[in-house]
Amino acid sequence: MQLQNSNEMLHKQMGLSEKRVSEFQRFWRSLLRNRGAVFGLAIFVFLIIIAVFSELIAPYSFDAMMAGPRLSPPIAGHPLGTDNFGRDILSRLIHGARLTLIVGGGAVGIGMTIGTVIGLIAGYFGGPIEAILMRLVDVLFSFTDTLIALAAVAILGPSLQNAIIAVGIAQIAFYARVAHSAVLVERNKEYFMASEATGAGHFRMIFGHLLPNAASPVIIMATIGMATAILNAAGLSFLGLGAQPPSPEWGAMLSAGRQYLTSAPWIVIFPGIAISLVVLAFNLLGDGIREAIDPTQRRSRG
Amino acid sequence: MTTYILKRLFAGVITILVVTVVVALLIHIMPGDPVRLLFAMSQTTSAAEIEAMRQDLGLDLPWYQQYFMYMGRMLRGDWGTTIRGRQDVFRLLWVRIPNTIVLALSGLLIALLIGFPLGFLSAYKKGSIVDTAAMTTAIMGISIPHFWLGLMLMWLFAIELQWLPVAGQGIKNLILPAVTLGLSQSAVIARLTRSSMIDILGQDFVRTARSKGLRETMVLYRHALRSGLVTIVAMLGLLFTYMMGGAVVIENVFAWNGVGRFSVEQIMERDYPVIQGFILLYAIVVVVVSVLMDIVYGWLDPRIKRG
Repeated sequence: MQLQNSNEMLHKQMGLSEKRVSEFQRFWRSLLRNRGAVFGLAIFVFLIIIAVFSELIAPYSFDAMMAGPRLSPPIAGHPLGTDNFGRDILSRLIHGARLTLIVGGGAVGIGMTIGTVIGLIAGYFGGPIEAILMRLVDVLFSFTDTLIALAAVAILGPSLQNAIIAVGIAQIAFYARVAHSAVLVERNKEYFMASEATGAGHFRMIFGHLLPNAASPVIIMATIGMATAILNAAGLSFLGLGAQPPSPEWGAMLSAGRQYLTSAPWIVIFPGIAISLVVLAFNLLGDGIREAIDPTQRRSRG
Repeated sequence: MTTYILKRLFAGVITILVVTVVVALLIHIMPGDPVRLLFAMSQTTSAAEIEAMRQDLGLDLPWYQQYFMYMGRMLRGDWGTTIRGRQDVFRLLWVRIPNTIVLALSGLLIALLIGFPLGFLSAYKKGSIVDTAAMTTAIMGISIPHFWLGLMLMWLFAIELQWLPVAGQGIKNLILPAVTLGLSQSAVIARLTRSSMIDILGQDFVRTARSKGLRETMVLYRHALRSGLVTIVAMLGLLFTYMMGGAVVIENVFAWNGVGRFSVEQIMERDYPVIQGFILLYAIVVVVVSVLMDIVYGWLDPRIKRG
C-alpha cells in the first residue's frame, strides 16, 4: 500500500518534471525567436566573458599611467584613445566590466532578498502586518528608485560599497510588490490551506510553499532590475557618490572625464556607450523573458 | 470627492512623517561623527572642545530626543545651520528649490509633448514600421544614462555648434538640461502610453463608437484620446518624482543652481543638517505635487469624482 503510494507520487513528480522541461523548452524557443532578447543575451554573455578574463584581455592595467600619450584620440594601439593620465580607455572599460556586474548583481541581490522576504511575510500573515509593510513599500515606491538610492547614499556616505547597498535598497519596493501579489494568488489555493491545516510551521509555509511560487515573477523582475541598478549606480558614481578615482567603474570614468569634454570627448563618449549597451541588453532581455512567459504581452512584429 | 482628497492628504502627511522618522533614525546610527570629521584636519582641537560642539549640535542626546528637537525646529522653519560656515539650511535650500522645480516641470512638459504622441501613434499603428521604429527608439531611450545624454548634447550644441551656453542660470541655460530630462523621460511615457492605448483601443466603447459609424477621427479624438490622457494624468505624480530625481543629476551636468547640485556637494562633506533638510524638502515637494496631481486626476476621472 505504501509502496504503491510512493510509486504514484514518483510518477506524479516525474510527470511534473517532464511538464516543466517542455515548458522550459517552449519558453526558450520563444525567447530565441525574439531578436531583441537574443541581442541582449549575447551582450550579457560577452560581458561575463570580459569580466571573468579582464586581466587576460585588457592590453594594459586599469591604472597604468602613461600607457600611451596623454589625451590621445583613438589611434592604433589605443583604439578608444587615452585619458588625461595617458591611461588606455579600452583597458579601463574592460576592467570596469567586472565592476558593472558586481554592482548590478550585488544591488539586485540585496533588493531582491529583502524585497521578496517583505512581500512573502506581508502576504502570508495578512492583517496589520501586511497593511504596515505594504504601506511602507508604497512610500518607497512613490519616491522612485533614483531618489531612494540618492537619499540612502546621502545617509550612508559616498563609496562604491554604499552605492551598491543604496541602489539595492532602492529596488526593495519592486520585488516586495511582485512577491506579495504572487502570494495573494497562492494563499487561496487548496494545497496551501490543506498544508496550513495539517499544522505546517510559518517558516515552512513561507519558504517551502510560497517562495517557490514567487520565485519566477521575481526573477523576471530581476532582469529588468539589473538594467535599473546598473544605471542608478553609474549615476551615483557620476555624481562622485559611488566608485572613486582611479576606479575604472564606468560612471566614475565619465565623472573624471567630463572636464575634458572640449579637448578629448572620447574620454566621455566610450564609457557612456558601454553603459548604454549593457543597460539596453538587460532591458531587451527582460522584455523578451516577460513576453516569452506571458504571451498576452507579446508584441506583434511587422 | 472630498473623502478622496482628505484621504490623499492624510496619506501624504503620514508619508512625510515616516520619512522624518527614518531619516532621523538612520542618521543617528550611522558611523562618522560630523564634528569629528570637521576637526579631523586640525590636531589642536581638544577633546573638550569637540564635546562642547557636539552638545551644541545636540548630537550627544538619544535619537528620539534629537528627533523631537528636530521636528520642533523644523515646524518653526529652523532647519539648523550647515556644519561648515554655519549658514541657515532652510534659506540655502529655499532659494534653490524654485530652480529645481522649474527644471523638473519643463522636463516633464517636453517629455509629455514627445512621449504621448509617439506612444499614441505606436498603439494606433500597432505592428507597423512606425511602431517598431518608435519602440526601438524608446527602449534605447530608457537605456541611455541621462547624464551621458546631457554631456553629449552639451558637447554637440554648446561646444561644437555653440548654439547654447554650456552652463549657468537663465532661460537659454534651461534649454539643454530640460531637453535632456525630457528626452530621457519621453521614452518611458511613450511606452506607457502605447500599452494603455492598446488596451483602450480594444475596449467595448471604442468598438461601439466605430460600429455606430462614427468617423475614425471622431473615435480617436473624442473617445480614445481622452481615456489615454486620463491614464497619463494618473501617472503624472510619479513622472514628476522621476523628474525631480533626474534633476539632481542633470543639475550637476549643467551646473544648474538647484537643490540637487547643492546637496550633492554637501553629501560629500557629510554635512548632516543639509542632508536631512535635502531629504525632507524633497519629500515635501514630491508628496505635495503628487497629492495635487491625484486631485486633478480625481477631478478628471468620473469614477472617482462621483464615488
